[in-house]
Amino acid sequence: MPSYVFQFGPILIRSEELIHGAWLTIWFASVSMVLGLAIGILGAVARSFGPRWLSSLVAAYVELIRNTPLLIQLYFVFFTLPFLGLKLSSSAAAILALSIHLGAYATEIMRAGIQSIPSGQIEAAKSLGLKPYKIIRHIVLLQALRAIYPALCGQFILQLLGTSIISAIAAEELTAIANNMVMQTFRSFEVYIVVAIIYFILVQAFSLLFQGFSRFFFRWKT
Amino acid sequence: MFKARLRTVVAGCAALAMSALLLTAAPQKAAAETVDDIISRGKVIIAIDTTTPPYGMIDEEFQPAGFDIEFAKLIGAALGVPVEFVTVTSPGRIPALLTNRADMVVSIFSITAPRALQVNFSIPYAGQSAVVIAPKSSNIKSHADLVGKKVGLTRGTGEDGLLTEAAKANPGIEILRFDDYASLLQAMVSGQIDAMGGGDYGDIYLKKSSNGEDFEMKYILKTFYFGVGIRRGNPDILQWLNTFIFTLKQDGTLERLSQKYRNTPLPPLPVF
Repeated sequence: MPSYVFQFGPILIRSEELIHGAWLTIWFASVSMVLGLAIGILGAVARSFGPRWLSSLVAAYVELIRNTPLLIQLYFVFFTLPFLGLKLSSSAAAILALSIHLGAYATEIMRAGIQSIPSGQIEAAKSLGLKPYKIIRHIVLLQALRAIYPALCGQFILQLLGTSIISAIAAEELTAIANNMVMQTFRSFEVYIVVAIIYFILVQAFSLLFQGFSRFFFRWKT
Repeated sequence: MFKARLRTVVAGCAALAMSALLLTAAPQKAAAETVDDIISRGKVIIAIDTTTPPYGMIDEEFQPAGFDIEFAKLIGAALGVPVEFVTVTSPGRIPALLTNRADMVVSIFSITAPRALQVNFSIPYAGQSAVVIAPKSSNIKSHADLVGKKVGLTRGTGEDGLLTEAAKANPGIEILRFDDYASLLQAMVSGQIDAMGGGDYGDIYLKKSSNGEDFEMKYILKTFYFGVGIRRGNPDILQWLNTFIFTLKQDGTLERLSQKYRNTPLPPLPVF
């Protein structure tokens, strides 16, 4: 068996670049999570309570995005939209594609949550004279969010890991920086080990954060 | 005294016999040291790489083709012997010579000083430049003109190193690294980047920019010169190769090959 001598030195010397890359990954993930969740909530509400045309429009959006790969969506936003007159930078294109991508999944997840609310609760709220906006906000959304929170967190984690492919449109993040390092040091084994550990730590940190959110927001007893 | 002598002689004979045995047992290796050796053996063994279009590739009939392959066939024709091709990858080029698997390496073998410690290079028979490419109308002549512009390149290529250095020296050059040449091309064609680092030939010159312009080479970053690699210490073969390349250069054959495969003239080929 050929022996391989690990040399982490040339990588650890450049840990500053890796930390910078990790920050970029966190940034792309966080911004797209916030935007994606916003799209998801609006989409699910429109799908469940909106007029028929809006509901079908959202359904078409969800199907379109969920049945095509993220990579193709990235290419489409970055390489094809300029021909239609919309030229976005690498980062902006990445954020747009990531948010639209997550938005479709979040819409479906939120819709499941909304469906889990017993219709009796909505009827009771109506008979109490609550305005539709208040019913959706206080009765439907909060409970729905709580019900689907674990599924949503899972999707968020996938989103965090999914940012690793945005280097395909020359956006800089952890994986792109790792690939630069591999090309310069030829220590691919070591670089990818270090980067895998960083991703692992990031996911753990995000999971902890999500747990903290859930303790804070969903304090009421069921 | 005499006994010691005898013992040495016997040991020497034994060693000779052993090595002779080993030599005959080993597969027949090409160890031509002169042009005459090659001719009397009746074939010249040339290492090529068929994964480096347009220099080395496989044609529709599954035969090796390309600039390097045609040039290698010319070598065989000039020596009056058939060419036997051995396929190598780029890290396998020097070992192919050192282990006697080939007489010559003709495979976009850039002439560099570290490589010259291990093999001898002929004078260059071809060359290729890493260049900056942009649409015709854009006024780019040097690194300074790239400041404030987006410059695309393929991660880990020669252009990457050269332009990354340039970006350090000229703050304001925005570098976008793509994972492959196809993405880089697409970014250039869609106008996502203002300029790109690439070769002096390639698909980019056949494309049009988003406003219908042709692309052209703006300036040269660095030129790589390709020589024929041979084992060190065979001055006869080296001298013949240099003479042969000189004649091909003079009669325009190399230029014709460049136009045929690269669609662009060769850079001036210096000699050493």
